[in-house]
Amino acid sequence: MTTGARRTSRDAALARLGFVDVPRACRLLDEHCLAGLVDPFEDVFEDGVLWALGQTADPDLALLGLSRMMESLGPIPLAAPRPSPGLAPAPLEGGSLNRLARPAAHPARLRAVLRTGGPARDRLLAVLGASAALGDHLARHPEHWTVLIDDVDPRDAAALRAELLTAVGADPAGAEPTAGRPVNVALDSLRIAYRRRLLAIAARDLTSEDPLVEVPAVARELSDLAAAALETGLAIARSELPEEAAPCRIAVIGMGKCGGQELNYVSDVDVVYVVEPPNGCADEEHADEEHSALEHSALETGARLAAGMARACSATTVEGTLWPVDAALRPEGKQGPLVRTLDSHVTYYRRWAATWEFQALLKARPVAGDLELGRTYVQAIRPMVWRAAEREHFVQDVQAMRRRVEQTLPARDADREIKLGAGGLRDVEFSVQLLQLVHGRAEEALRTGNTLEALDALRTGGYVGREDAAGLDRAYRMLRVLEHRIQLHRLRRTHVVPDRAEDLRRLGRSLGLLRDPATELGVVWRRHSQEVRRLHEKLFYRPLLAAAARLTTDEVRLTPQAAHARLLALGYRDPEGAMRHLAALTSGVSRRAAIQRQLLAVMLGWFADGADPDAGLLAFRRVSDALGTTHWYLKMLRDSGAAAERMARVLSASRLVGQMLERSPEAVAMLGSDEQLRRRPTQQLFAATRRATDRRIAGPGSTDTIAIAVRGIRSREITRTAIADVAGLVDLVEVGHALSDAAVAALDGGLRAATALVADEYGGQLPTRLLIVAMGRLGGSELGYGSDADVMFVHEPLPGADEGRAQEAATAVVGELTRLLSHPGTEPALEIDTALRPEGRNGPVVRSLDSYAHYYERWSDIWEAQALLRAVPLGEDTDLSERFLALIDPLRFPENGLNGSAIREIRRIKARMESERLPRGADPNRHLKLGRGGLSDVEWTVQLLQMRHGFETPGLRTPSTLSAIRAAAETGLLAPADAAVLAEAWTLASRVRNAAVLWRGRPAEALPTRLQDLDGVARIVGYPPGAAAVLEEDHQRITRRARGIVQRVFYE
Amino acid sequence: MDRQQEFVLRTIEERDIRFVRLWFTDVLGALKSVAVAPAELEGAFAEGIGFDGSAIEGLTRVFEADMLVKPDPSTFSVLPWRGEHMGTARMFCDILTPHGEPSMSDPRHVLRRALAKAADHGLTFYTHPEIEFYTLRDEHRSGHAPEPVDQAGYFDHVPRGTTHDFRRAAIGILEAMGISVEFSHHEAGPGQNEIDLRYADALSTADNIMTFRSVIKEVGLEQGVYATFMPKPFSEHPGSGMHTHLSLFEGDHNAFYEAGAEFQLSAVARSFIAGLLRHSGEITAITNQWVNSYRRLWGGGEAPSYICWGHNNRSALIRVPMYKPSKGNSTRIEYRAIDSACNPYLAFAILLAAGLKGVDDGLDLPPGAEDDVWSLTDSERRALGIKPLPADLAEALAIMEESELVAETLGEGVFDYFLRNKRKEWADYRSQVSQYELDRYLPML
Repeated sequence: MTTGARRTSRDAALARLGFVDVPRACRLLDEHCLAGLVDPFEDVFEDGVLWALGQTADPDLALLGLSRMMESLGPIPLAAPRPSPGLAPAPLEGGSLNRLARPAAHPARLRAVLRTGGPARDRLLAVLGASAALGDHLARHPEHWTVLIDDVDPRDAAALRAELLTAVGADPAGAEPTAGRPVNVALDSLRIAYRRRLLAIAARDLTSEDPLVEVPAVARELSDLAAAALETGLAIARSELPEEAAPCRIAVIGMGKCGGQELNYVSDVDVVYVVEPPNGCADEEHADEEHSALEHSALETGARLAAGMARACSATTVEGTLWPVDAALRPEGKQGPLVRTLDSHVTYYRRWAATWEFQALLKARPVAGDLELGRTYVQAIRPMVWRAAEREHFVQDVQAMRRRVEQTLPARDADREIKLGAGGLRDVEFSVQLLQLVHGRAEEALRTGNTLEALDALRTGGYVGREDAAGLDRAYRMLRVLEHRIQLHRLRRTHVVPDRAEDLRRLGRSLGLLRDPATELGVVWRRHSQEVRRLHEKLFYRPLLAAAARLTTDEVRLTPQAAHARLLALGYRDPEGAMRHLAALTSGVSRRAAIQRQLLAVMLGWFADGADPDAGLLAFRRVSDALGTTHWYLKMLRDSGAAAERMARVLSASRLVGQMLERSPEAVAMLGSDEQLRRRPTQQLFAATRRATDRRIAGPGSTDTIAIAVRGIRSREITRTAIADVAGLVDLVEVGHALSDAAVAALDGGLRAATALVADEYGGQLPTRLLIVAMGRLGGSELGYGSDADVMFVHEPLPGADEGRAQEAATAVVGELTRLLSHPGTEPALEIDTALRPEGRNGPVVRSLDSYAHYYERWSDIWEAQALLRAVPLGEDTDLSERFLALIDPLRFPENGLNGSAIREIRRIKARMESERLPRGADPNRHLKLGRGGLSDVEWTVQLLQMRHGFETPGLRTPSTLSAIRAAAETGLLAPADAAVLAEAWTLASRVRNAAVLWRGRPAEALPTRLQDLDGVARIVGYPPGAAAVLEEDHQRITRRARGIVQRVFYE
Repeated sequence: MDRQQEFVLRTIEERDIRFVRLWFTDVLGALKSVAVAPAELEGAFAEGIGFDGSAIEGLTRVFEADMLVKPDPSTFSVLPWRGEHMGTARMFCDILTPHGEPSMSDPRHVLRRALAKAADHGLTFYTHPEIEFYTLRDEHRSGHAPEPVDQAGYFDHVPRGTTHDFRRAAIGILEAMGISVEFSHHEAGPGQNEIDLRYADALSTADNIMTFRSVIKEVGLEQGVYATFMPKPFSEHPGSGMHTHLSLFEGDHNAFYEAGAEFQLSAVARSFIAGLLRHSGEITAITNQWVNSYRRLWGGGEAPSYICWGHNNRSALIRVPMYKPSKGNSTRIEYRAIDSACNPYLAFAILLAAGLKGVDDGLDLPPGAEDDVWSLTDSERRALGIKPLPADLAEALAIMEESELVAETLGEGVFDYFLRNKRKEWADYRSQVSQYELDRYLPML
């Protein structure tokens, strides 16, 4: 009974202490090797071994580790020497046999430590609870626990080097230490000694009061330990060299984190090798050939040593492996020779290195081998690093590198990744390095390979704000601690926060979050990654703004030169201009300036991502100058990050949007939500236009105010559409509808106003009814940004009215309408093109229905009938509309199709147009409308089908080109594949034409030839940055195919 | 790369090279050359050397008028015929846009792209050309019939023969330039020679062919004869072809070889041949790009006029040479239509693309032709499903124009330019009244 009761209460106590697998814990505790460790009064005194286990990251793991270790250490022999915890450190020995001969590691001593508690016990249990891998090590080498008590203090690089070298029987004092033990023994000894030291580092790390403070020290010691391992690897490689190997000096240069002395627990160690023949033969000018022979054989030896060293570190033996040695950062990467002479390095970097290679060199540091040679190397290379920012393609390179950093993210673990991706460790490092490269030219203090030191130097130098630097520093350290703790568990190279509950629990507890480890860990992690996510803002842009605003309160002190260099590096083409705009936007102490400073800190980055950052910033300045004091404007941008981002992206992508917003800044309000950017329903648009005109017709307003009102509504819709288009919210068809609706509503309102104005002269009542017929792309509801409104005007005299007077009145209305909509004014004009009317430009602008009937009966050319294919009567006069349609339907869809001569005539006109209409000097392969496979090719092909088969195929009777293509495919008039190509060609040409207007702010007829323009257009069409050549190739291919179909379908 | 660049710079210094010719090739296969002083070479390696691309046939798009040539140091070679001292060297160049991107209209880049595609399959492409050419007594003067240097025939040994000396000199120079010659002999026509280059990866071979042509011309100049690669200079003698042996390697392993298979041809080889056969019509305008090329294709001799393959059948378009036991790695196929006046970069690119298309599409190889296809009647050929190659340049262009394969392989720019240029050539040709017509029609009409 009592035993049972005690057991129950022990179970509960164990669970309370944090054990999860209580039965196993009990079993382990009852085992012989742990017997007697647990104080019977454990539940009473809160400092026993069980309690201590409960403090570890994973009590179950710690207990298991402890039991394995104790078991492996063996029972206490009878004739045990008295354990004495206070003894002087035992001499270190390799090998693991004959444990009992060494009193310091005696099991009894361990038991004493475990029972009495104190820092040594904490260290041991912390390691066992956090790292299964180190637990395994202790199970294999239980005597190593003593390092945690006797030898735990940090060691400097020299001591670590000596420690590992001694382990393989090499003389640390020798010029070229060589392993004295047989290779396979030496490999094991290196691994054992390395892990023993790792135990000490991990123990200190895990038991430190504030692990954030320890990060630099831990990382530094890990780097030094790695360097020592490299040196020892080299010593092993030397012992493998054949007798006859030529002498050589070899320096191992640490790159990456090892070079920056910021290594984590498990990582590839990046190195580069420099090899020279031994001193004394180096400068003999007279013996050139001899020298080159020496050099050659030295390189041979060097390559063997380098390969041997890498093998010594990475080979897997019974004692496992350390880490891979990666020499891929060397000149020419994996293609290049493994080792090079100093000269060869220098020549390479002087002539051929790419920007990223210089960035990598920032961290170069001699770590092993011939340190003097290593220092010479660094002295020779360093100056070039600081000139990298002057290189021609620096900006493009940096942007490409940034994209690569963000793209290497494996999608699977994206949200749990702490190294890659935006705001990850690599992003911090990359961004800090970029600032070092940009400003390090002028500022020597920035020239360090260590991220935290560099950040500190940036802060001290005033290149980054103090608060921002401190926040980033904290967040970076936090992410590093997280990374370290994750890696420690299994000593695996991983940067992904685990998702299993027990792993999260261990991780959280290892950070001291004992109450609800997994949840609290999530909170901490999120807080810090948010800090890092606004990294670019803090590092790059805020200091620029402080400089521009000439703030004295902030400690940032960017000189104009530094600001200039930074803006250039970020992608601004006109830094002086940009600084002027920034100064104008942010100077002063007004609330507005303060908010804009805040906004621009993020917006500058978004502008920089766009095709034309400078134009984006300029447009923003203009809009802000116009709206700055409007109450909602800054509030919207400040409160809605999405609105500010959209504004920045749209303005740096499209000049048209910039122009439109400058003209009517209040339209900026649309950026507030996707809802606002949605197309207004047609009816609503008409109603609004009518209300606007009616109000002014009734009132004392002049025609000018009506014009402004009607055009203003249309302009607003164009702006809305343009923004939605650039933001990728709408496709071509929707853009066509939106722009067409806007034009039709304007025509409707304009006609209403013009009628009312003219009616006054006719005693309040016009003697005729007027109908507007939409033609061309307007008829098809496929208008683009640069399109005119193609229309015809029809009128019908009222019964009994004099025809001459009616014609006169109709002409006056059309004149008034044109004046309202097309004449230059404050709001953008809608150009009205009536060239498709009977007799073209020689005919009257408006005719009566009878006159149309008369004309079409007697004179009509086939091209006029063709133009009528897209005729769509507008407005509400259904009677007149229907009669007009009845008049033209037989023309455009002739009964039984077209006769041979009509078909021939259409083909002939088209052929002549191809040769004559193309502007002189235009490249037919690039012209969007009249070029090979262009809009006109596709439209004429489809229209010919419509005229030939429209009478029998209702689907073909549509004003829309795309609908007609679809109908032709459905009825078998076009092969599906052909239809797809024609639709694709028409769509691409239309999109490019729209994009060209959006990009430049004025119409364009051809695929741009300037690379920058092509890039801007390509981005709007939906290509990634830098894909101008791809758009061009696609365009050529699609139009070529379309032209092939046109040849076949239209001409044959 | 930089080791090669260093090597180049060092060699130039050591051998006292005074001029370096930077070579590149226009779309039609004409060799272009810019000479630079060695001092400029370092810059050329780093950034390229600017030139006005619009002056060169087919090389530019609108925004690329200013182009760069960037020498490929692995192609460095001293020109032996320019003398030992104060010599001249040459390197082939890649053509770049002002932004440092490879120019889409550089034939070398076209081939590189095709090779990269093969590399995606893990394959490398090797070629081995047998280049034929005529040696004439004199440069061409309009109105004079060309006169060959001798009257010998196939494999003839000509005592004190000009062509013998000629070949010896040419081979000496080629070898000095690091271009290995496999084989050389007198060909069937009078004054006609054949020199076979050793097989190498397609890019090197194409570079070598360009070098070969200029070496042959240079040697001719030195020896007072005129060498020509015109496909068919004599109506009555065989034309000059460039039968090319093709093979694909997967690492060190010949991907065409499969022990025990019929003719030891692997499935890859069979599909590759099938691809070549299916697309041979489309690619003929590239492999046989001149009006005159079709005189050779349809002029008898050993030229293949019909689309078929055969094992050791010298009348077939594609011949699978006799397999030599123990030489698995020498398994290859021979494409026989191509002529010596092609642009080798484009020709190799398109042959590779056509064959790979066959592999990608998993085409089955039709039965091989065992007969001499020339001796069959039209109906017999029709019955066997053997179609003719295009009869003339116009037909070849019409077929090529419809080919997505060719457009994709050449790139839209080169494709478009090539068609326009060649249509013009055809139009020019067609507008001429030939000697034949005068001789035949004037007397009778």
